[in-house]
Formats: sequence, structure tokens, C-alpha cells
Amino acid sequence: MALLQIQEPGGKPARPKHRLAVGIDLGTTNSLVAARCGLKVETLPDEGGEHLLPSIVHYGSDGLISVGKKAKTFALTDPKNTLVSVKRMLGKGLSELRQLGHYLPYEFDAARDDTAPAVLTRAGSKDPVSVSSDILSALKARAENALKGELEGAVITVPAYFNDAQRQQTKEAAELAGINVLRLLNEPTAAAVAYGLDSADQGNIVVFDLGGGTFDVSLLSLTRGVFEVLSTGGDTNLGGDDFDRLLATWLIAQSGDAAVSEGEALQLANDLKHQLSDVEEVKFTMGDYRGSLSREQFAEIAKEPLSRAMMICRRSLRDARLELDEIDNVVLVGGSTRMPLVRAAVAEFFGREPLTSIDPDKVVAVGAGIQADVLIGNKSDSDFLLLDVTPLSLGIETMGELVEKIIPRNTTIPVSRAQEFTTFKDGQTAMALHVLQGEREAVADCRSLARFTLRGIPSMVAGAAKIRVTFQVDADGLLSVSAEETLTGVKSEIQVKPSYGLEAETIESMLQASQENARADMELRSLQEAKVDAMQLIDAVAAAVIADPQLLEEGEEQRINQGVAALAAALENGSSAEVSDLTAALNRISGDFAARRMDAHISRALQGESI
Amino acid sequence: MQVPEDYFSLFSLERRFEIDKKALTANFRALQNENHPDRVAADDEQAKLLAVQKSSLLNDAYATLKSPLARAGYLLKLRGVDVESVSQGDLDMGVLLEQMELREQVAEAPAGEAGLAILSPIKRDIENRIAAREQRFVANLEADDLVSAKRVFHELQFLHKLFQEIEVSEEKRLGY
Repeated sequence: MALLQIQEPGGKPARPKHRLAVGIDLGTTNSLVAARCGLKVETLPDEGGEHLLPSIVHYGSDGLISVGKKAKTFALTDPKNTLVSVKRMLGKGLSELRQLGHYLPYEFDAARDDTAPAVLTRAGSKDPVSVSSDILSALKARAENALKGELEGAVITVPAYFNDAQRQQTKEAAELAGINVLRLLNEPTAAAVAYGLDSADQGNIVVFDLGGGTFDVSLLSLTRGVFEVLSTGGDTNLGGDDFDRLLATWLIAQSGDAAVSEGEALQLANDLKHQLSDVEEVKFTMGDYRGSLSREQFAEIAKEPLSRAMMICRRSLRDARLELDEIDNVVLVGGSTRMPLVRAAVAEFFGREPLTSIDPDKVVAVGAGIQADVLIGNKSDSDFLLLDVTPLSLGIETMGELVEKIIPRNTTIPVSRAQEFTTFKDGQTAMALHVLQGEREAVADCRSLARFTLRGIPSMVAGAAKIRVTFQVDADGLLSVSAEETLTGVKSEIQVKPSYGLEAETIESMLQASQENARADMELRSLQEAKVDAMQLIDAVAAAVIADPQLLEEGEEQRINQGVAALAAALENGSSAEVSDLTAALNRISGDFAARRMDAHISRALQGESI
Repeated sequence: MQVPEDYFSLFSLERRFEIDKKALTANFRALQNENHPDRVAADDEQAKLLAVQKSSLLNDAYATLKSPLARAGYLLKLRGVDVESVSQGDLDMGVLLEQMELREQVAEAPAGEAGLAILSPIKRDIENRIAAREQRFVANLEADDLVSAKRVFHELQFLHKLFQEIEVSEEKRLGY
């Protein structure tokens, strides 16, 4: 076996001294940059002392691009030139964005393809990649200013559930900003790193990330500096906003017919939610109504989203094959984990107090900063290592519009997996390959990532060519696919750079649907497989009848044709059992003829003739 | 490290079914620590590409040896047995009956959470059957009886598949 040279532990050349590298948390609402300052890795403030940079870009009439707080002031007065929450647009098509119902006050560039949307601003056509790159440029400038030197590299965080397209575009945005991307790092993994190095050096860690609109939970094991992601899960429709909505509904119900709009109620709910993080009880007025709200009451109101989050935690434990008592640490990420009721629920569920010493808004950036410092080579090699996983299964389309999974989800990356396929028809010289991402079995239910064609396959009978398809996912979670005909070495490959990818909500619903539909998929699969078998048999029989008509006995051709006709009819609308039965019947009918052909070929071969 | 002959020697393990899992994990992590792309993140493209290949190989080797079923298949492959193709002669009637019986038991579990109490002992039963088959696999391999070992391997494949299906059905009942 030709295995590669593997470096023996302990034999690594020394590297030069301190180089500047940062961690960047490129968030939907706010972004941060962190770097090593002396002994600690900390987030870097701007000149005004602010650590959070609002992820907003404004293109001014004076040609000036402003990013952050200043850009935010234009959100109401000049919305068409003020881009907010572009992270939601990464890796998506325009029709997909419209479908999702995000706030889009922009004018989209009609000259652009639907799959590559861009917003028309006074500074020209701006796509999500270039807007993200403006945010990253601002962070780069802030870091170079604070660190007094040129950046050599950065680690940029992405949600664990980001698909291939979203990761690709994040990387492109960084490259556009002139940043050397050392690694794309999953946000929960970064959070675990931020805590992992200061606390226990061994054990299982839960990262509980509750943001404004999304919830993520990851389970990692840490052993002597190696972080291994065991499972990752979440709900892209569960976050702090749900708590606001439920509280607003309660407020309206309490105040009876007090004349307040839903918007006012939501605003009040959000205020009360924040106040309850500091005090046990708050008083409020709503129109003429005066009332009070205690933490206990709020916990009762927010029961449903909380129990949903705990259910997801239970499922992730199961995915990771861990029991509750095997959890050693719980890390909190995201502003919504500031709510005491969330902390209490997490503590109760896991039977331990969560770690809260690092600001939940900064913890991801800090973790990325630590990783950047290691990757650029400032720390000694054996300090720590991250072993992350693929969030979604990757596969290829096979006959019958089914997906053959080549890399299942939660596989440790980097990973390279190969599978052999063969030709379906005699004389087939090209094979179209369709790369998909998702958990379901039918092509229509998965996300299409790329299509390419392997040409120049030598003409052979069906099933003789051997096409080896290799999927490679690198340490950034990015996929490349290659195909090779193994007899002749004809090759084709592609770096999967789709123009748009999956919406996180779609991923979640696809995951749920894949479980609900497992049974339906199995039935579909058996029908499709039966159909493929049937079609192959029909092709083979038809070819044989044309090739060796002299070997047919009297009436045999008619019987065979009847069998073919019956099977062809079943292919139209028969069940998998009917198709299988008629395939077997046609096999029986044509069996003698096939045996005679085989004998004739063998005797011809023995006489030295070519077949 | 020299070019290793197989995944077992890669992790300094003996080439056999029963392995020291702790040693496997410890050796995997030590090797991954040295060969992972993170170690050359600031180097040139060539070094990065090589690291991705090495690291992928380590991940694949680790996944193969960690799973008892994959490990059994790999041991057969090292002995030149083609485990991808299954012919009818590779299976005996008793196994098919066993499968039908087990599947009937699973099908009888009522819908919803009520079925969990039925599924749980079936899972334990399958685990016991797997353990017994694994012992037979080890014995067959030691006796160099590759035909029987291949048969037991396919039986293990059936049992693992059924076990997975039960887990999916459990998750559905739990509302996951």
C-alpha cells in the first residue's frame, strides 16, 4: 500500500519569532477582531474604545465608504446605500433571498445573474462578498493600527452550519480585503478554544450558542490539547427574538385593551428582558396599564423556546454518544445567554454552572485569535490542535435521481473519500457528475453544489469502465471533487465554487425532513433501483436481439418482446414490486437466449476469433 | 515515519480485531498533531496540500479502525477477501430468518414513545448478538477460515444496519 510519509511526533523544525495574526468574528450584526497582546488574547477596540464593529457599510455621496457605527446612522436616512446583515446574503441567490423575506430595502442589479445578486449603490454594484470585504478591511486597519505592524494572516469564524458556498464566499471576501486566510474556523469551536486553554485540559465541552435569531450547540472533547468536535446541531429559527415575541404577547394579554401597537409591545418586551438580567423584578407601564414582571414569570412565559433548546441539546448528546454525566464544561456564547433564565436552564439541564468568565459577545473572536496565533507559528506546535467535522453530508447523483453519500455528516476533516461508479450504457464515452450536499436520498431534496463532465472514457460495454470519484474536504471545510477513469487514467476535476448555497433554515428543515422521510426515501430508493435494473435489462435484451438474431428460436422473439412491453409499461407507473417481478419474468423469458449467446461467444473465443 | 504497511502499523497496533482503543486514539492524536494542515497554515501551497493528504489519510485510518465493523472488513481486505461483493453463497438461511424475526419484533413496537420500552431490549439483544458474532469472527480469522469469517462479517453488517434503523426510529419517537 502506497501510504504517504507521515511525520513522526516530535520532529519539527523551529520557526521564526513573533508574527502578527488575528482572529476575526465576522458576525451578522457585529464583528470583532482579536489578537495576542502580551500574555492574553483580547479583542481590539477602535480609537473610540469600542470593541464591537456593527456589520454595516455605507457608501457615501462623497465617495467615502464608512463601516460600523457611523454607517449605522445612515440606515434610516439613506437605506439604499447602507448595507446591513450581508452575512445573511452570502452564498445565496436573489430569488432565494426574496423568498426568505429578509429586510431588503435595496435595488438589485438587474444585469446580474439570479445566482450572483448585487445591490446597486451610488458606488456601483456591490455583492455580498465585496461588502463583507469592506467590513474585513476596516477590521484589518484597526488591527494594524493597534498592533503597529502588517498582518500576516487571519483566522475567520463561520457558523458551524455554513455550507460550502457560504464558506467559499467568506474566504473570497477576506482575500479581496488583502487578508491571508490561515483558516476558516467554526464559531462554536472557537468559543471552546477560548475557554479550553485556560481551564481544564481534559474533558467534554458543550458550547451553547444562543444568538438573536439562531441557536447552535456543539459537543467537543478535549484531550491533551486536541479538540475533537463530536457533534454539532441547532435550530436556525430559535433565538432571543422568540423570547421578545412571547413576552410581547403576554404584555398585550395582561394590559387587556390598552392601546399599544405590536411594535411598541415588542420594544417594551426587549427592554424588560434586558432589565431582568440585572434585577429580580421590573415594573412597567403600557398605555394606562401598570404592571410588574418577575424573573419567575418570565421563565414561565419563555418555557417553550427553552425546552426546545434543551431538546436539541439532548439530541446532540445522543449524536455524540455521550451521557449527561460525561459533560465536564458548558460554554455560553451569544447575547441571549446573558438572560439568567437561560443560564439557569442550562445549569439545571447539564447539572453544572456554565462558564461565563469571557464576555459571550467576544468569546468567538478570542478563540479565533488564539488559533491564529498558533497557526502563524508563534506558539510551539504541540500546544493544541482542532479536529473539526463536516456539518452536512456530501454526495453524488446516481441513476434514478438518487444521492449516493460519499462523505457523511459529522466526519472529521480534512477528509478524502473515493467511490467507484461505472457506465450505464454500451459505448458511453462521457459521464456527467452532479455534486450535492444534504441528508435526503432524492436529488431534488438536496442542495446542488456543482456539475461537471468526465469526457474521453474509452468506448466499452456498459459496466466495464471504472470511474473513481474522489471527494476532498480541506481543513476549512471546502470541497473539491475529481473523477478518473481508472483503466485509462482520463481525469477531470473541479473546485466546487457554486454561485449560491443553502440557507441555514433550509439546512435545518432538511435535517428534520430527512428523518421524517427516511421511510418514504427507502421506498423511493427501492423503486428507483428496480427501475434502473429494469432499464438495463431492456437495453441489454434489445441489443442482444439485434446482435444475434440467428440464435433466436421460433416464437422466442415475440415472447421476449411481450416481456419487454410489459416491463416498459410497469416502468411508467408500476410499484417497485411490480417492476421487480416483471424484470425477473423478462430475465426468465430471455434466459435461454442469453445462455445460447454466451455459449456461441465462448466457442468463438476458443476458436481464436475476437468477440 | 517510514511508509507504513497498513493502518494497524500506522498506529503501532497489532494487526488483529481486538485492539487497545486508548492506544489507537492516543497514537492518532499524536500523529495528527504533527501532520495536520494547521501545522503548515502559514507555509506554501505545496506544504499545505501535502498536509491535507496526510491528515485525511490519518482521519480515514482512524475511522476505519475505530468502528468494529469497518475494522473487521479492513482485516478481511488485508487478507485479500473482497468484502464489497456478496453472493448468495455468502449467507445462510438461518441468518435471513434471524433478520426477519428481529425485524418483526421491531415492527410490533407501538408508535410514539410507548414503543421505546419495546425497542430498548431489542437493541440490547442485537448488541449481544453482535458481540457473539465478533467472537466467532476472531476465531475464524485465527483459524484462517476466511470463508466463514466473510460470512460472519456480512452477518455483522446486517445486525449493524438493523441497529441503526432502530436508532432512527427511536429518534423519531423522541421527536428529534
